[in-house]
Amino acid sequence: MKYETQKIAYQYFVAATLLFGLQVIFGLITGAKYVWDYDPLMNIIPFNTSRAIHMNLLVIWLLIGFMGGTYYLVPEEAETDIYSPPLAVFQLYLFVGIGVAAIVGYLAGWSWGMPFLEQPTVLKFGIVIVALIFLFNIFMTMMKTRKWTVIQGVLLGGLVMLALLFLFGVFFVRNLSTQYYWWWWVIHLWVEGAWELVAGAIIAFILLKLTGVNRELVEKWLYVEVGLVLFTGIVGTGHHYYWIGTPSYWLWFGGIFSALEPLPILFMVIDTLRDVREKKIEITNRIALYWAVGSAAMHFLGAGVWGFAHTLPQINKWTHGTQVTASHGHFAFFGAYVMINLTMIYFAVPRMTGTSMKEHGRSLIALRLMVLSIFLMVLALGVAGVVQAYLQRVLGMDYLTTQGYMKLWYAVMWVSGWGVVTGVFTYIYDFFSMGRPSGVTA
Amino acid sequence: MTLSQGKAIFIWGTVISAVIFLGLTYDSISKMPKRTHEENLSDQVADGKWTWQRYNCNDCHTILGIGGYYAPDLTKVMSRRDPQWMSRFLKDPHKVWPAKRRMPNLHLKDDEISDLVAFFSWVNGIDTNNWPPKPITVAAAVGTTMPGEAVFKAQGCSSCHKLNGMGGDIGPDLTHVGSRRSAEWIRQQLENPKSHFPDSPMPSFAKLSPKEMNNLVDFLSGQK
Repeated sequence: MKYETQKIAYQYFVAATLLFGLQVIFGLITGAKYVWDYDPLMNIIPFNTSRAIHMNLLVIWLLIGFMGGTYYLVPEEAETDIYSPPLAVFQLYLFVGIGVAAIVGYLAGWSWGMPFLEQPTVLKFGIVIVALIFLFNIFMTMMKTRKWTVIQGVLLGGLVMLALLFLFGVFFVRNLSTQYYWWWWVIHLWVEGAWELVAGAIIAFILLKLTGVNRELVEKWLYVEVGLVLFTGIVGTGHHYYWIGTPSYWLWFGGIFSALEPLPILFMVIDTLRDVREKKIEITNRIALYWAVGSAAMHFLGAGVWGFAHTLPQINKWTHGTQVTASHGHFAFFGAYVMINLTMIYFAVPRMTGTSMKEHGRSLIALRLMVLSIFLMVLALGVAGVVQAYLQRVLGMDYLTTQGYMKLWYAVMWVSGWGVVTGVFTYIYDFFSMGRPSGVTA
Repeated sequence: MTLSQGKAIFIWGTVISAVIFLGLTYDSISKMPKRTHEENLSDQVADGKWTWQRYNCNDCHTILGIGGYYAPDLTKVMSRRDPQWMSRFLKDPHKVWPAKRRMPNLHLKDDEISDLVAFFSWVNGIDTNNWPPKPITVAAAVGTTMPGEAVFKAQGCSSCHKLNGMGGDIGPDLTHVGSRRSAEWIRQQLENPKSHFPDSPMPSFAKLSPKEMNNLVDFLSGQK
């Protein structure tokens, strides 16, 4: 670590880690409702509330992780301290406060009611303010030295795109189809656009520092990767426009472009492995390397392969709106974004605290537990989804009867959920055992 | 490849995709009013949409295939249920449909219920490119169906009753009902379920026209 203000990132990582723990607990609560018909929590935390909390916590902690990663990365790239450390801390507290208000609100039945964007409008404006403070602080830091590296440019581009797209999810639209049209600009263009840029920049930075490969090599391929991500991902939004009231030409555009979406991800896997092979320095933090390589592989499997499996309209016609989507969602978010956040944390925290990563075998236990359990969970959800698509869509069985035939797979999903939770809490324990940077109290 | 070639791929890849996407977006948005019969999107439908959002229905139910997977998709629900049934159900879900997986009673007000029913009826008419697809087995049977079978489907009987292995298990299996019950008994059960079973959750179908009722009774009593 070169700059004192990089330590701000640690507080973000603490918040992200704790919210991650809470998120998976709500995952267990939500999953249990599928396994047992009788729901003792029905009047306190009904399914819709626990699902909303599970999903919102995911998005909040991933965003906080990205912000922390950005505060860590930008000083090194820009070669200067963060423009305003107090603003960065204030922004974190404001964001966590809004997150807590949203969750308490859901428990009290206060909701805006569009999936993932359930935050009431007043809180959404709060989120916009958080994003503006963040962008301002990052932009001003970059402007101090004006060292426009490609990593910084891609990161800033991703963050601006992220903030702008959120605006498409703020307003009430009378027409449900049109509302969903714009809703996907937030949901899809975030995860298959803006977030990929942020994650791509972060992983490029980590690989650069870990392996010591030539910067020009890393940046050249970063350009190609994000170019392909955006080329396939922007029109690829069309795979969400098959059945929502939009014209039928989306079946062609969505099908073709989204079928290409695994390519840039495969590219990232090859790129990561090449950087590791061509390393110029001895990799001392092998834990971060394992997470980075694991992330590339799981990103490809979860987002690329699992996504491709049901993205063509001929298949999606049967699987749309079934647990197949839930299987893909869990796999993709874990592989692409959870693991990248943890890679960043395992890269940055030892550099801030001076901890030697040689003794952190516990991190690898957490990694293996999470990966294996998630894999089992998405297989179970995938089988449940195929059973559902066959019985409900092909044979015409009614929805609730179908659910009875899926019970076994829900049970497997829930048991593997406990594996995920164990992995996550192993990680949380390991995170705090890395100590805290000197001078940071939070 | 050089850095500037990589940069060119990034810029052109993004620009080409964005131009195609924005062009299609312009066209899609201009076609939406027709595809979603917007002329029928009344204030009541919009109020219903807001009620749908306010109670966070979408995190249990999917609509247009999007949302929670805990409860049935509601895109074409009004093709399967009539408005009176829907209103009764929304008033007290468990009483009307005592399924094992429960929907909580949201204590909706009467105007919220009628707004929701208007909203679902409007959603039902959206052109979804034929999604959800017609089940293959049912699709294969088209053309050989008895008139009573159409009534059986339209009234959503199979949500509670099984017939030839398909359907719900809230009410009795009707696969061989014709060999157990007379046509008259079936007619009375349809008109006034409580006359046979005072605690029956089954709604009365006395609202059916005489022709529909005759067809349904013929169909059911033929299930031997």
